[in-house]
Order: sequence, then C-alpha cells, then structure tokens
Amino acid sequence: MRYRVRHMTRYDYAAPVSLCHNEARLALRQLDWQQITGSRIDIVPRPAVRQQRPDFFGNGVTAFSIQKIHHSMTVTAVSEVETLPRPDPPESYRPTREAAVEEARHSPELRQFQLDSPFVARSDALRDFALPSFPPGRALFDAVCDLNRRIFEEFTYAPGFSTLATPIHEVLVERRGVCQDFAHLMIGALRSMGLAARYVSGYLETLPPPGQPRLVGADASHAWVALYLPGWGWLELDPTNGSLPGTRHLVLGWGRDYGDVPPLKGVMNGGSSHQLEVSVDVAPVEEG
Amino acid sequence: MNAWAERYVVGSGLDLMTAAPEARWQPLLTALEGLGREELGRRRDEIQRLLFENGVTHGPLTEDAESGRPWQIDPLPLMMAPAQWRELEKGLVQRSRLMKALLADLYGPRRMLNQAVLPADALFANPAFWLPCAPLVGDEESALTLHGVDLTLDADGRWRVLADHLQTPAGMGYALENRIVMARVLPDIYRDAPLKRLAPFLGRRHESLSALSKLNLDHPVIALLAPGHARDGHFEHAYLAHYLNLVLVEGSDLVVRDNRLWMRTLGGLEPIDVLTRRIGDAWCDPLELRGDSLIGVPGLLQAIRAGGVSVTNLPGVGALEHPLIAAHLPILCERLLGESLMIDGVERHWCGSEAGREWALDDFDALHFQRLDGDTAEPRPSALDEAQARALRRAVEAEPERFVASRPVAGATAPFVGADSASLHPAPFNMRCFSQALFDDQAQFSHHEVMPGGLAWRGAPGTALQASQCVRDVWVTAETPQPHVSRLRRSRQPLVVTRDGDDLPSRVADSLFWLGRYGERLDGRTRLLREGFYRLMEQDQEAFRDESLAELLKLLEGEDAATAAGVAPVGSDQQRLLALLREGPEDALPTLVHRMISNGRAVRDYLGDDAWWVFNRMRQEATGLARLDVAGARRATETMVSRLAAFFGLCNETMPHHYGWRFMDIGRFIERTLTTLGLLRFALVDACLVRDPLCEIMLASTDNATAYRRRYRSALHPAAILDLLLFDEGNPRSVGYMCKRLARQIEHLPQPGNTPYRSEETQLLIRARSTLHLADLATLVRVDEDDGARAALAALLDALLTPIAALPRAIELNHFSHAEPPRQLIPMQAP
Repeated sequence: MRYRVRHMTRYDYAAPVSLCHNEARLALRQLDWQQITGSRIDIVPRPAVRQQRPDFFGNGVTAFSIQKIHHSMTVTAVSEVETLPRPDPPESYRPTREAAVEEARHSPELRQFQLDSPFVARSDALRDFALPSFPPGRALFDAVCDLNRRIFEEFTYAPGFSTLATPIHEVLVERRGVCQDFAHLMIGALRSMGLAARYVSGYLETLPPPGQPRLVGADASHAWVALYLPGWGWLELDPTNGSLPGTRHLVLGWGRDYGDVPPLKGVMNGGSSHQLEVSVDVAPVEEG
Repeated sequence: MNAWAERYVVGSGLDLMTAAPEARWQPLLTALEGLGREELGRRRDEIQRLLFENGVTHGPLTEDAESGRPWQIDPLPLMMAPAQWRELEKGLVQRSRLMKALLADLYGPRRMLNQAVLPADALFANPAFWLPCAPLVGDEESALTLHGVDLTLDADGRWRVLADHLQTPAGMGYALENRIVMARVLPDIYRDAPLKRLAPFLGRRHESLSALSKLNLDHPVIALLAPGHARDGHFEHAYLAHYLNLVLVEGSDLVVRDNRLWMRTLGGLEPIDVLTRRIGDAWCDPLELRGDSLIGVPGLLQAIRAGGVSVTNLPGVGALEHPLIAAHLPILCERLLGESLMIDGVERHWCGSEAGREWALDDFDALHFQRLDGDTAEPRPSALDEAQARALRRAVEAEPERFVASRPVAGATAPFVGADSASLHPAPFNMRCFSQALFDDQAQFSHHEVMPGGLAWRGAPGTALQASQCVRDVWVTAETPQPHVSRLRRSRQPLVVTRDGDDLPSRVADSLFWLGRYGERLDGRTRLLREGFYRLMEQDQEAFRDESLAELLKLLEGEDAATAAGVAPVGSDQQRLLALLREGPEDALPTLVHRMISNGRAVRDYLGDDAWWVFNRMRQEATGLARLDVAGARRATETMVSRLAAFFGLCNETMPHHYGWRFMDIGRFIERTLTTLGLLRFALVDACLVRDPLCEIMLASTDNATAYRRRYRSALHPAAILDLLLFDEGNPRSVGYMCKRLARQIEHLPQPGNTPYRSEETQLLIRARSTLHLADLATLVRVDEDDGARAALAALLDALLTPIAALPRAIELNHFSHAEPPRQLIPMQAP
C-alpha cells in the first residue's frame, strides 16, 4: 500500500511564548516493509535552530528552537510511504516462553525491554491478568495472540478516561482506556511474564475498505506493542484492535514506553495555558 | 611520647595513628597539648566562631534562623604520612582513569555489556542511566574532570572506597575553609607543619576548566551552576565560585539560544563557555531529562551536543555511582585498563547472579541490601524487626535481580580530641578525597591529579557527611616545608581588567535591590520598636499611660482582622510590644531578618567580607529576639540599628559603586521614602490628638531629634517638621533628599533599548519631585488649626506616595529580565 500521511499539531497560547525548545519524533521510520519515499516537517514560526539526530533506539529526532516571541506553533509532518506485508513467523516456528525469557535475559539489547521503564512497572496484578493466556504447553505465539485478543474484547476504548498520568493499574481495574493505555498494559503484562516487549508509536489507516468495520484509532496517532520472539525477531501486536499489524500500520518509532517516543515534546518560557489542535490524515495513494 | 598519646586507649581494632606512627602525629599532639586545656578550648571556640561568622553551614537556610548549623571542627587533623599517601594517590588516580574509560564505554559502544562483563541491569535497571545522554553528549575530555571518593581504613589496615561522587562532587570548598580557619586559629602549628598545601591544586582547577572552552580560548567565561541559595551546600558553591573566580549562577540566570549557553544580565545576554555544575544529572535539562526540573536549563543537552558550551562533569555520569557497577569494578578494571583495582571497594554482590544470591542469602543478617531502582538503601536486616527482615528476605528470594548486597566495613579508628580538650578518643572515620583531570597547553587530556588533603568526618564507614557532627582537615605531610601560595590565582594569560558593569546577572541585581529594601524596612521597623521600648520604660517609671505608645502600637501591629472588627488587642502594652519582636504581620522582625539574609546569601560573592561579618552577627542576634525582656529588647533594637548602619555603611565603603550597589541603594531609598511618608501621615494627619509625642517619635525614629532641637530648640512646629522631613534636600532623612538621590541613581542605570524616551522610573521620579517642589508650604503650615490644611497635607503625601510606590514595579520590568519558569508542552512525568 502507498500512503500519504499528514500529521498537523497546532498549539495556541494564551500568553506570548518568548522561547521554546522542542523535540519531534514525527518522521516515519525506514524499515524493510516500510519504504519512505518522501518526508518533511514544516514548523511555523520558522525555528532559529533545527537539528536531526537519531535517539537511543535509532528513531529520528528533529530538535528545534523557536527564539522569537510567538503566540502559536504549528508542526506539520508529511510523509509518503509504501508498506509491504510484515513477515510472519513460519507455522513450524513455535518457541516457548521460557526460551524467550532466557534469550532476553542474556542479551543487553533485549534486557532493557524486559525490565521496568518509567511508565511501565511489572507487578503481580499484571502477571495474574496475563496468566490465563499462558497455560502450560501453549506456544508463545498463541499465548500472546490470546492476550492481545483478550485486551481487545475485555476492555472498552474510552477516550477521555485516562491521561498520561493514569497508572496502568487503574486501566486494569476500570477496564477502559485508549491505545496508549492498552499498549502500556500489554507491555506490562508481557514483562511481568518475563518477556521482552516494546512500545511502538505510529499511525493506522482508518478509512475502511468496503464491507469491513471501521477500526478504532481514527484521526490520531496510534500505539501498539512488539514482542521479541527468540531466534526470529519482533512480533507486533495491536491490542486496541485485537489484530496483528499489517500494511495499514505505519511505524514512527519505538522505545520502552510512551516516554521514549512522544511525537512532540517541548519546554517553553511563557505561554500560560494553551489550546491544542491535532489532525492526522492517513490517505491511500492510488497506484500509478 | 606525650601524655595524650600515652593515655590514648585504642579498642581491639586497628587505629590510624598507632598503625602509622611515621605520619607525624606526635609533634602535632605535643603542640596541641602544649597549649593547655583552657587555651585549646578557647581556640576551639574561636574556630566555631570563625566558621559561624564566615557563614559556613551545611544545610539549607530555612525560615528558622537557627538551622544551617556550622559544623564542629576537630582541631586535630587526620595525618597522612608521605608513603601512605603516595599509595592512596596511585589508587585514586587509577580509579579516575577507570571511571573515565567506563563512562566512554557505557555511553558509547557498551562493550562491557556485550561481552557480559557487566550485566545489562547495571544500565537498564539503573535510574541514573539517562538514554538521552547516550551517545555521550559532550566530548570525553570534559566528561569527568572532578571525581570525589569516600574512603575509610578497614580493620585490617586496608583503604576501602565507600562511594564515588561524580555528579556533584561536593566538599572541596569545605576542605579549603577548614584549612583556612585552622591556619588562622592555630597559626604556629599550621605554619611550622611540613604539609602539602591545597591552593596549587585549586589553581589548576581553574586552568583545567578553561581548557574545556571551545569557542573562546583566551578568556573563557566559566560559571558554576548551583541549585540556588536556599539549597544545601550554598556556602560551598559561593565560596568555590569566589575562590576559583567563576560566575555563580542558577538555572533561572541561564538560557540556551542558538545552541549556546547565555547568562541573563543587566546589559542583555552574555555567553558562557564552560559550566561546572552542582546540580544532579536528572535536573540539568527539563527537555530531555527530568521534565519537572525548575533548576536546570531547557535545551542544555542540545547545546552541549552542538559544541556551544562545555559542561563538566557531563550529565549522565551519575550512572557510574550505581551499586551494581560498584560491585563489578574489579573485573571492569581488569578489562578496561588491564590492571587490577588498587583500592578495594566494599564487598558487594549482585543477587541476580547465582553465586551472589547464595552469598547474600547465606549471610543475610550481616549484610546490607540495596534496590537497583531506588536511591534509598534498605535498612540493615539487623536493624529490622523479625517480620520486616522476613519480608525483605522473601523479596530478595522472589526477585533477586532487583538487589545488590554488601558487607558493611568494620572501620579502623582514628584519634579525635575529646570535648574536654584534654584527651584523645578513638572513633571510626570517613574521608573524602578529590581527583581532577589536567590538560596540556593544547587542551588535550594530560593526567589526573589528587588533591593533597581532603575532608574527614567522624562516623561509622558510610555515614553521610551531612549527618556527621564533627569534621576535620586532612593533612598530607611533606618531606620538606611547603611554600605558602597566595589565594589570588596567578594566571597564565594576561589579566583583563574587569569592572562590574552591565554583565551583572539580572538575578543578582534583583537580590541586591531586595537586600536594600528588606534591610531598610528592618531598620525603620526596629527604630520604631526602639522608641516603643523607651516609652514603655518611661511610662513604667512615671506611672501614667502614655497615649503615644498606644498609637505607636497600633501603627506597629497594623490593621489585622481583629482590629478591623473592633476587637481590642489583648495583653499589656509590654506584652504586645515584646510580641512584635517575634511575630506580627508581614513585618515581624525575624521575618525581615530572614528575608534580608536570604537575599544577602544569594549575592554572597558581591558583598565584602566585613559586611558579611556584620551580617552573620545580625543573624546570630536575631535568633535570640523571642526570649528577651524589655531591657534586653531595647538593647537588641539598639544593636540591630547599629548593625544595619554598619552593614550598609560597609557596603557603601567597600562595594564598587557600579550597578549592583546602585540597585541596593535604590531599594533602600525607595523603602525609606515610603516609611517616612507613612510616618508623616501617622503623626500629622491621622493621629493629631496626641500629635506632639508622635512627632517626637517620628523625629527620634528618623534620627532627627537632635537636628531638630538644634535648629528649633524644643517647640514642635509642624512647619519646621515638614521642612526638615519633606523639603530640606540637604537632610538625608528628608523625602526631598531621598527623591534626589533616587533620581541620581536611576540616571546611572543602564537603559535597555536606547530609546530617546524617558524610562518609566525616571518619569515617576519627576512626578514625585515636581509635586514636592510645587507644594504650597503656606497652606500646609496651618495643619494644626485647619481641616483644609490637613486635607491638603494628606493629598500631598498621597501624591508623593503614588509614584514612589509604583517605582519598584517599574524597575523590575525595565531591568530584571526574569525568566518565567519553564513549562512543558506535555507534562512528561510517569505516574
């Protein structure tokens, strides 16, 4: 599939801002199954300083500073991308959870996704929640798909219920939240089972193909999960939709949790309060 | 052998003095003992007095004026023999090399993780490992230029490292101050001792900081970033900044623009080339590190990456202070340096390894457990009750990889002088040493150097410096007498003559302004209280009620809810007056003293030493105010008035009359004008029934009683009072003089923007002065007989008050470019 993604964020401040320093993680990541053919980020007012660098996880960061007095800031990221199906683990490949735990424990690269991170702490409650999906003898792949399905079925997608500061436990008890919460919840559950899991930030095409139901996650950034399968690699799972991401999931980047990959963050002087406007448009591009 | 040493009874363990007699303890002991018990006691009191007067405290300044205690210095330094020190020095240099190599690896290729020398948990379960700092944000040269190491001698006579301090290696300033105080109080002992001096080391500290500058090579601006004057360690930060000739700054003084670091000053932004910091890693940059930091600088990491500023030690170094890394230092040293670690640390194992877990569980009760993700150590199992100890054991068994276990060190002892100044007592001790990186003239790293001395404190190994009651100097004896080195640094570069000009940080100008305001407010208030006590004493003698005292009390107590509701104040005049010494609205004396001192501390390095001395006396005296009787209170107010006069007098005499001084003076005279206008209104308009005594109070409290009597004998003519206190520009206590002085000071301030228009503060003063010049004195003099004249006087006083009261705001807006506290676009704190 070919897409043109447009992600616009606009802040209107109640008081003038004299200076701000920001970081944007808004460029889609180049991957085997995700070829980036065009990408730009426009910032208004024009920043005085602007620099690119990869972050700890290899995601592209645009750091910029606006140094003149301004009352609003608009960041617009436009990318063109072609997605291919992600590789599936072969049918015959059925690693156990124990093997996955062991491999991650001995790999510095994976260990960081097995431990606690600022937004996701392992706990007995999360482990208890995950356990029914991991009966003895069930293959790891089947177990995590079951967990993915259970979050989709047992939890209610409820915008407005949670904020960044809502602990996973509240989401677990109330059984409601948004994609970010479900991703954190699932990462927490997987890590509490000893597995290495990471947070994936991106977009989801929401215009449904004819005859299929409209998927949740429209007009916003989306977030899902990736689990490390030993000897194979990262398997992505989308608990908000109970699905395995395919050509309609576009990847911006990944980290231990949301805190590592916010699309836009910043610190400013002034501004008082602000109004935020976000629009995300994932438009399929006709072939040819 | 002298008597102290003969009577010195060491416990069963090892003792530093008896183990290393070559360290020349004897001559020192003989000298101290030779002073005699009483003389030594006097000298020790003198040490404490000097520390207090120099404002040496280790603790934050709080509302409670008695906190921020100076520490006790033991007059007997910890003695280190040359051979003993050389060994230690080698080990410390090796440790600094190891830390440098380890930092480059952990924030770089992480070979030690990939080769499984160090478990990944040492970084990824380590809250001090900051992902944004990897790869290393600055260059390796600046990464680690100062390294503090806590040591003790164990019972077997081996040195052991207890902790490494890399983020904010504090204590050099205290070590230096200890040494200077000792040299002043025990000059004979100090001068004759062949001990290594500290000054050359500190002089080279400035050189090595200069070597880190990238853009400005000849005269780099070096700043010391402190967490703020109300925080722990402020004394040391101000002291070091002063000694090393660094600009002392706080986060709110700084801003990142164009990928460079700048300081907000009166004249605009001034670049900073090198920043040495005393705030923890987490707080350095709210954009990339802890988002809720208000003491850091947004964008700092980006400026470091871009090469616009060098920061040392680099943010991120704190990761190396982690116990799991400490547990692996011996093997890391083998692998990174190809050497074995010279100074052992504490015996320590990670419970996440099988061997470590077994070791920890076998000897559970004797060990100390630390969580990987927490700053706070778990209490020793032996300090826990049975149920808690069981719970800890269960936690270790369930998730062993979350714990590091260590065996507490049984420390050797060292002699400390007893409270009686006549005996020695053994006690365990800790010692902090420092090592710094030195650079050659091409600014390339050359080698590490250890400070020949340090800071020692009494306490079981691992006791925090802040928690100790008693500190002492560390003397490294030299084979030959050592030359004295002046504390004025000799620079390699030609001197650039500087004047405190408009590169004064805005925050400093602001604090000086408020120092002036609070000082003057305190002065006005104290003078009125003093008059109150005089009157109280006279009234008691003559047994009649002095109506002016009642009026004065009303003025001093202010309009609070009770009086507004018509409730009569409780208590006798005496009780009410004494109560005003310790409480009251906004203007209670202790509050004013505290505010004045707090502003003074913020500008410590701009005040002369003598002014500072007066300041400390005031602080000391203010603590006793609440416990005084009437006679004592009168004396205290008299003392306070003369202290304030001495303080501001010394400031006038010793501070360069540049912008900083001008702001302080403006603050004082705004406050004095407001006080005088208030008094005139009080005596001549509001309370005319008992006017004469009130006029006396007013004259006395403005110290004009003598001038008035000389000119007018004793009769109180309103016209004469008005002339003396309003119009006479030659009288420093008149409003006319004050306005003239304010106008002159403001004329000399830097005017941002260079507009052809008059600044607002200039306009306000023109308004006040013309009001005064145009006043109709002929009407006003009838204030006694005529309600119309009284209304005219009230109107005149109001017309003067309005512009003067608006002056502070105008000055703040025009001159103190306050940074609004940084705010986050999205609060990024995890729940």
